[in-house]
Amino acid sequence: MKKFSKVAALATFLSAGVSVGALHAQTAEVLHWWTSGSEQAALGEIRAAFEAQGGKWVDTPIAGGGNARAAAVNRMLGGDPATVFQFSIGQQLRELADQGLLADVNAVAEEENWDEKLPPLIVQAAKYDGDYIAAPINIHGENWMFYNKEALEKAGIEVPKSWPEFVDAAKKLEDDGVIPIGLGGQPWQERILFNSVLLGVGGREFYAKLYSTLDDELLASDTMRKVFETFAALKPFVDEASPGRNWNEATNMVIRGDAAFQFMGDWAKGEIIAAGVEPGTTVGCAFAPAIDTAYIMTVDAFAFSAMDSEEAQAAQEKMAHVMLEPDVQIAFNKKKGSIPALLDVPGDSFDVCAQKAMATLQDKKTHLVSTGLFGVPSAVSGAIDDSISNFWNSADMSPEQGQEEFRQAISYAK
Amino acid sequence: MAEPAQGALKTSHDGRWRWRPQWTARMALIPAMTITIVCFYGFIIWTFVISLTRSRLLPVYKFTGFDQYVRLFANERWWTAMQNIAIHGFLFIGGCIVFGYLLAILIDRGIKAEGMFRTVFMLPLSMSFIVTGVIWQWVMNPGLGLQDAVRELGWTTFEFNWIVRQDRAIYTLAIAGIWQQVGLCMALFLAGLRNVDPNIWKASRVDGIPVWRVYLHVITPMMRTVFFTVFILMSAIVMKAYDLVVALTGGGPGFSSDLPAKFVVDHILNRQELGLGAAGAFVLLCTVIAVISPYIHFELRKARDGGGH
Repeated sequence: MKKFSKVAALATFLSAGVSVGALHAQTAEVLHWWTSGSEQAALGEIRAAFEAQGGKWVDTPIAGGGNARAAAVNRMLGGDPATVFQFSIGQQLRELADQGLLADVNAVAEEENWDEKLPPLIVQAAKYDGDYIAAPINIHGENWMFYNKEALEKAGIEVPKSWPEFVDAAKKLEDDGVIPIGLGGQPWQERILFNSVLLGVGGREFYAKLYSTLDDELLASDTMRKVFETFAALKPFVDEASPGRNWNEATNMVIRGDAAFQFMGDWAKGEIIAAGVEPGTTVGCAFAPAIDTAYIMTVDAFAFSAMDSEEAQAAQEKMAHVMLEPDVQIAFNKKKGSIPALLDVPGDSFDVCAQKAMATLQDKKTHLVSTGLFGVPSAVSGAIDDSISNFWNSADMSPEQGQEEFRQAISYAK
Repeated sequence: MAEPAQGALKTSHDGRWRWRPQWTARMALIPAMTITIVCFYGFIIWTFVISLTRSRLLPVYKFTGFDQYVRLFANERWWTAMQNIAIHGFLFIGGCIVFGYLLAILIDRGIKAEGMFRTVFMLPLSMSFIVTGVIWQWVMNPGLGLQDAVRELGWTTFEFNWIVRQDRAIYTLAIAGIWQQVGLCMALFLAGLRNVDPNIWKASRVDGIPVWRVYLHVITPMMRTVFFTVFILMSAIVMKAYDLVVALTGGGPGFSSDLPAKFVVDHILNRQELGLGAAGAFVLLCTVIAVISPYIHFELRKARDGGGH
């Protein structure tokens, strides 16, 4: 706070015509929720690049996405905003923009042609009224299926390409004494599995239409019932201790070979690497079984507070520029386990899983949004998680009932 | 608020203004009063106002009537949470009172190593609900806790998997909660028992009344105020219950062990549903008042009529 007012005072002084402004370090306070080891390391790449280009980075980590978002908003309302803050892009961020609390980074975006280089769905989510109100810095995929190669070989099965095949494979694994699906039984993880089934059974067009329109008829359709039936058929393939388990424990079950498959976002690669395994070797990665190829994207992004000081504005532009520099994108995303947000960044130094994702995304038809942080309004996102989790954990709910509860929950939340 | 001012405005008998001690007392109360009025009643009113708007991430004052309440009452998770707080409240308060009282009686009977037992029962209280939740989550996890341990010992059909069952998870909250709070209840009851006039014991011994009957018919009615205190203290814990459920079950499986406080926090902080969360908070408050106030009223009147024991 003290530092900041000093900078602000200095900025006013400098704007009186003294031309040493460029020499002075541009200070950016960065508020974020990346507190784990790999997240810190990844963010460190951006920080290093920002500082190498003469910026000064003030780090404000706050554990937990919900807490950090609340802190960012509260500080904005309190008149002491962080220069740059991590946020989810989509409706909530637009609400902040609507109140005039955000700055845009159009200048950088135009100069570097974000419109062309970012996936169109992400461009759409990062914009408010035609202005870029956030810098999307990576793409995580949520429809990954990690598997233990040895367990599959022992049971004599191939990587399943469709959900019926998966069910057959799972039965064989069960006979082998392996838990077919290592699942962390928390609502968001159950939703990741559900969305993979939805994509796999309904196809990418159905998925895209369903979540972009939240249409009642689609929610009540036969396709949707098939999705719920397939989802319900997976229940027996999860071990009893699943409820409440953290995602990384489930990943470790797959690494050890206790479980054969895990449906999880590509951040699971971080856990795999931490266990000393190169993704794609003994632990393989494939897209979850589906009738066509698609990539369910989720995005990390940083937004910029509206600030009067020119110094701060310059720091914000520099930050937006640094965050999407190809070299920084490569270094950052390799540590984060995600892939670059810019589709033209060369991928040859990435692992095989990431390369596969990058190749897939070249076809824009494969682009889908997650319902977690940015695809749908957060109220809908929460309602989806609730009803999916309730259905998954219920012993006596029929697929029809699950489908109906899902439809109702969405219609009340939207 | 009924009898202030008169004492302050009156001049003293010698006709001159004098600083009276009760003024100081009242001055000292001003900050506390202001905080109570603003932070307590002020924010209750504000919450109610917000619940009438369609606020999502930020408070906006576009009023939509009782829309948020309609949405709230159509929400299955909300009803699960309300039902859960009733179950949890009944089991937790009941359990704390019963077990706390029994432990206190046992210790009061002059058990050996009384100090050690007191410490043992009080120890869980020094842990936060978060820690309690994590410990019990491990104990009750069927894959690595009690169930697994007993099965390793040879009893392979032993089952204790409440925490992963939608229809049982709510009971695990009461188990962990009682374990943590029973020590406090025991201490309060013990203090009450130690205050019992020794002559009563002497008299009952002379009359040859069995010990259990003395406790049941003589001591327990005398402990009325202690029961009341314990009830109020434990009720407050039930209403606020949030951290325990977050650490123990995360509200799961599904939302089967959700509680209203968690519902409200989730909707306000994580889902940007300020209006809906506020509506939930207000309904919770009304429910609490409706349930608790008759009892408080009854007890306080009884105490007043009885000359305030």
